[in-house]
Amino acid sequence: MKAAFFFVICGSLATLRAQVRPPELNRLISTRCAVCHSGGPSAKAGLDFSALSFDLSNRAIRDRWIRVHDRIEKGEMPPKGMPFTAADRAALLKELTPPLYQADLADARKNGRGPMRRLNRDEYEQNLRDILHLPDLDIRDMLPEDREAYHFNKVADTLDMSRVQLAAYLDAAEVALRQAMVTTPEPSPIQKFHTFGRNLFPGLRSTGTRQSMFFIKDNHGVNVESEDDAPPLSKALLEDQTLEMGLFRSPGWPYGAFPRGFAANHSGRYRVRFSARAVLQHPDFILTDAVQAVPMTFRSRRPTNHDIAEDVKSVGGILEIKPGRHVYETIVPLAAGQTVEYGLLGLPVPQVDAQGITGSYRFPPMPPGGQPGVAFNWLEIEGPIPPESWPPASHQVLFDNLGVSPNPAQPKQEAIRLLRRFMSLAARGPVPEEGARKFEQLVLASLDRHEPFADAVLAGYQAFLCSDLFLYLREPTTEFAVADQLSHFLTNSRPDAQLLTARLSDPQTVAHEADRLIDGAGFERFVKSFAGYWLNLRYLRRDDPDKRLFPEYQLDEYLTDSLERETLAFVTALVRDNLPIRNLVQADFVYINDRLAKHYELAPVTGSAIRRVELPKDSPLGGLLTQGAILKVTANGFSTSPVLRGAWIMDRILGEPPTPPPPGIPAVEPDIRGAKTIRDLLTLHTKSSTCASCHAKFDPVGLALENFDVEGHWRTHYRGTAEGEVVKGIDHTGHDFTYTIAGAVDPSGTLADGRTFRSISDLKAIFASNPRQLARNFLEQLTVYATGTPVRFSDRVEIEKMLDACESNGYRARDLVRALVRSKVFLGEYGS
Amino acid sequence: MKAPHIACRPIPRRSFLKGSGVALALPLLECMRPAFGKTVEPPRRMLLIANNLGVLPKPFFPEGAGRDYKLSPYLTELASHRDEFTVFSGLSHPGVSGGHSADNCLLTAARGAFRSGFRNSISFDQYVAEQLGQVTRFPTLNLGVNIDKGNRSLSWTRDGVLLPAEDSAPKLYERMFVQGDKESVERQIHRLEGRGSILDTLLDETNRFKRELGADDKVRLDQYVTSVREVEERMLIARAWENKPKPTTTEPPPADIQDRKLFFEKFDLMLSMAQLAFESDSTRIVTLMADAFVTPALRLNEREISTDSYHGLSHHGQAVDKVRQLEEIDRRQMQLLGKTYASLASKKEAGERLLDRTMVFYGSNMGDANIHDNTNLPILLAGGGFKHGQHIVFRRDNNAPLCNLFVTMMQRMGIETDSFASSSGTLTGL
Repeated sequence: MKAAFFFVICGSLATLRAQVRPPELNRLISTRCAVCHSGGPSAKAGLDFSALSFDLSNRAIRDRWIRVHDRIEKGEMPPKGMPFTAADRAALLKELTPPLYQADLADARKNGRGPMRRLNRDEYEQNLRDILHLPDLDIRDMLPEDREAYHFNKVADTLDMSRVQLAAYLDAAEVALRQAMVTTPEPSPIQKFHTFGRNLFPGLRSTGTRQSMFFIKDNHGVNVESEDDAPPLSKALLEDQTLEMGLFRSPGWPYGAFPRGFAANHSGRYRVRFSARAVLQHPDFILTDAVQAVPMTFRSRRPTNHDIAEDVKSVGGILEIKPGRHVYETIVPLAAGQTVEYGLLGLPVPQVDAQGITGSYRFPPMPPGGQPGVAFNWLEIEGPIPPESWPPASHQVLFDNLGVSPNPAQPKQEAIRLLRRFMSLAARGPVPEEGARKFEQLVLASLDRHEPFADAVLAGYQAFLCSDLFLYLREPTTEFAVADQLSHFLTNSRPDAQLLTARLSDPQTVAHEADRLIDGAGFERFVKSFAGYWLNLRYLRRDDPDKRLFPEYQLDEYLTDSLERETLAFVTALVRDNLPIRNLVQADFVYINDRLAKHYELAPVTGSAIRRVELPKDSPLGGLLTQGAILKVTANGFSTSPVLRGAWIMDRILGEPPTPPPPGIPAVEPDIRGAKTIRDLLTLHTKSSTCASCHAKFDPVGLALENFDVEGHWRTHYRGTAEGEVVKGIDHTGHDFTYTIAGAVDPSGTLADGRTFRSISDLKAIFASNPRQLARNFLEQLTVYATGTPVRFSDRVEIEKMLDACESNGYRARDLVRALVRSKVFLGEYGS
Repeated sequence: MKAPHIACRPIPRRSFLKGSGVALALPLLECMRPAFGKTVEPPRRMLLIANNLGVLPKPFFPEGAGRDYKLSPYLTELASHRDEFTVFSGLSHPGVSGGHSADNCLLTAARGAFRSGFRNSISFDQYVAEQLGQVTRFPTLNLGVNIDKGNRSLSWTRDGVLLPAEDSAPKLYERMFVQGDKESVERQIHRLEGRGSILDTLLDETNRFKRELGADDKVRLDQYVTSVREVEERMLIARAWENKPKPTTTEPPPADIQDRKLFFEKFDLMLSMAQLAFESDSTRIVTLMADAFVTPALRLNEREISTDSYHGLSHHGQAVDKVRQLEEIDRRQMQLLGKTYASLASKKEAGERLLDRTMVFYGSNMGDANIHDNTNLPILLAGGGFKHGQHIVFRRDNNAPLCNLFVTMMQRMGIETDSFASSSGTLTGL
């Protein structure tokens, strides 16, 4: 009766409401849903069907109905206990789905699948690096951080523009263009620096007790008699070419191991050559040859003696310093005024004592067999390495063949030629003639004002690099736009020449090109950026492990660095090697190096390089869930929370993000007093049925990971500060520590659907048994990342088609990427 | 040579801004007013401080109302300033919920931040800056402590776009005080002129772009055009400021504090920078967000580092040790506020105390972070020449709009307005 009345009203207001609910849908809603969800302010969860229009062309209203659809589909609504049969559910969805699909598709066709998207700062920097042939260009930090949505910094709706943002683009473009231009008739003169022995360290001693650094003659420390004093070296030793500088510590504030008397005169790439050997230090400063190599890094910095709060960057990669004297070489980019700092990974970092009181930089006790370190004999720095041509390629992008200080006879004509040329190099599609003329006018006006030729031309370039033409990626309606989207997806940068000329109207070609990009060098940027956001890898250094509870991880940058490389290598292999998606949660291999072999208690391997290692049978390891990086970003450095880890995994890996408590439900204040164990705590958390129904979906998942501490190391017991057996010692930074072995870990649990697990391995098997869900989530994450718009309602059917196509082969990751880029979701109507 | 090569010293502590303060060429107002100012009233200022996890409500809110209220445990930290501030209870933004997502809405009062597709609205500070016109070198300064700059801010444009906070004291110092030589100033002015023509071109070029665009694309492009226009407008003023000498100071630039554990040291430093900005009349409006949400385990005092991240602690669940640590954190913030009040009171400008010309607002989007409650917000207001020393009470079960306080503050700034966002009037009783 009520429904009929409602229908009549709707009909009479047809001019106001674009569409009315189909009668059958209306009947079902009225009889099954409106019992709770009507009545204005008293409607449950603020959802009032009597007031909810069915004008699905209105996005807000459509989104509302999509939420209704989804909650019914997932079986969350109507709540248990309401009269609602499976047939009712099917009937409701059958009524609701087609109009939603049609309306969403119509909107996408009319307005595009998503709005045009601003380049984020990573992409902007990489675009300019590629256009200007400046691989070391560093302008990212001049731009404001980009907002994050749906886990990524690639979402069109949140990549806003503001005066601050635009001003930053103008500044960054200017800096980049000035760096690309040279003004001297010849390359900077090459600076040659050679030093040895005593001059390999700025002072006579380092922070930390003597064992940190000392000079060596014939395998004996010299000048080490007094702990406090460092008397000058004798003249003979100062000039002794065989004197070595021994370093036995990692870099960490305050630290400054760099040669005396060197600072780069000019910015550029410098070749660093040095002679060194890995050694072992024994009591009384006696050295022997090492057994294993010591990984070494360099950082660029200014040669000041403290406060390295300024720009310090890791450069030049990792070198393995082997026993026995060898010559090593690396290339490091330096800014003018900078020098190279030596760092040894994985060695102790003498630190101010645990209470933060300065003055004590105790070196930790020497391990049995000796303390590893490196003895350096001599060092050469040479650079800047001249470019292949002069003026360099970057300058030629700007001024073609006009040389340094361009001053052509016909400035206007040449300026226009250069501008057209630059736009054709920098644009990622055709520049409309009318637009091009605006930039010309700018350049000509500058010349009329008697600006120097170069300045006038650069102003035109700068304007172009900050124009909407350059800053935004557009809907894929042309081959250029498809190329643009594809290359920003898989390389975070502009399309290369081959891609710009590829016949991308053919989806098969798109997939081929995707394959080429995946195999190319630019794909590293995809992995870093995608994993950085999808898996939160960029937060890996957010929380330091607690000093009291986890002394073994203090200032262990080698561990952190290795954990990061492990996950990057894993994601790379997943796609490049086209691995079945099941490997996300269950794999029989890991990517490790020497440090990680130790961390994961696997058979030792040699060297810092990350390599694939097959796991022993019954290993709990393999897949993302048990990777240290994942376990670290889902903890806080102090404790692990099954709630947070569980929610994270459901969201990121399984694609079932926890829903926030609905509005209208009062927040319940959990009282955790008296909770002794994490399980007590979770039980208290879920005492209220309101909380419990959701928490049951993710808390247990996190419980299975309780065997892994805040850095992903296996544990059977928790650590505490109060109760339990006391463990004491001095950690590798020289700190005293005390912690206790607390309660035992219980990693068993029951999932919301009733399936039980005793350990992480069981849970992995459960997740691995539904590869389609893993693959769907992977595709959904890729969709946001690649297109800047999350999966729309009308995309869902396309996603399922892609999954169907990849099913028979076990949903392999590269197959999924290929399926995506040739789909309508990626190509829009262009793909049909 | 006793000391090792590298000086052993604690994390750099700033040495400046202590004692009698900083020598500044004050005030600049006199030379600026004819060119840019709209009013000849004595300058009014405001410092808007927020902590996005708030404080524990029980030890914060006092008992009793009006002037005879009894100081709460936290407010005893401010006892010596009792007559300098007012504490409010029963204020919040109507309809604003969503727990942590509301932390971008403290100064905007926009609803629905937890929904996808949410767009913020203009923030109080930006609104005031628009009304005030650019009377100072910086229309506003937007500062942060440990802030996730990409995702969190107190300041939002008219388009609801985030304005990123500055979290580096040295950079701020440089912008405020470091004067280029004559040549570099000229170069900068020349640069700004060149940029003017670039912006003209961009506007012009974009106007061309009026062919068929989807509705969403139009919104995006409008944002771009607005940005170009705003940069252009501001640049005209910036060019004029470029010709004026920057205020001078005899103090060395502050050392940066990068260690995020040193939350209070950073907070203290930024508060000092805010004061320095007011003293030099570099700006009239400063916002400062202490991003407690992303602050890791922090140094509570000389002896102790917290056992959990700030956010972790905020979900204390009444666990005794967590509550104790939070109380320590909250009290230290109250002490910092007290220090700021005292410091502003000790400075004179044209015979008046700087505090009387500066409204110091402290608040949070969280009434009770333990349960993600966005009502009954902890709010303090000091200075600005108001009659303080009160506890102004609104209903706990039906809060008054916080924007009413903003309207009152705006009027004190000399702006003729009677509404902002969700306000229903001014705040009575101040």
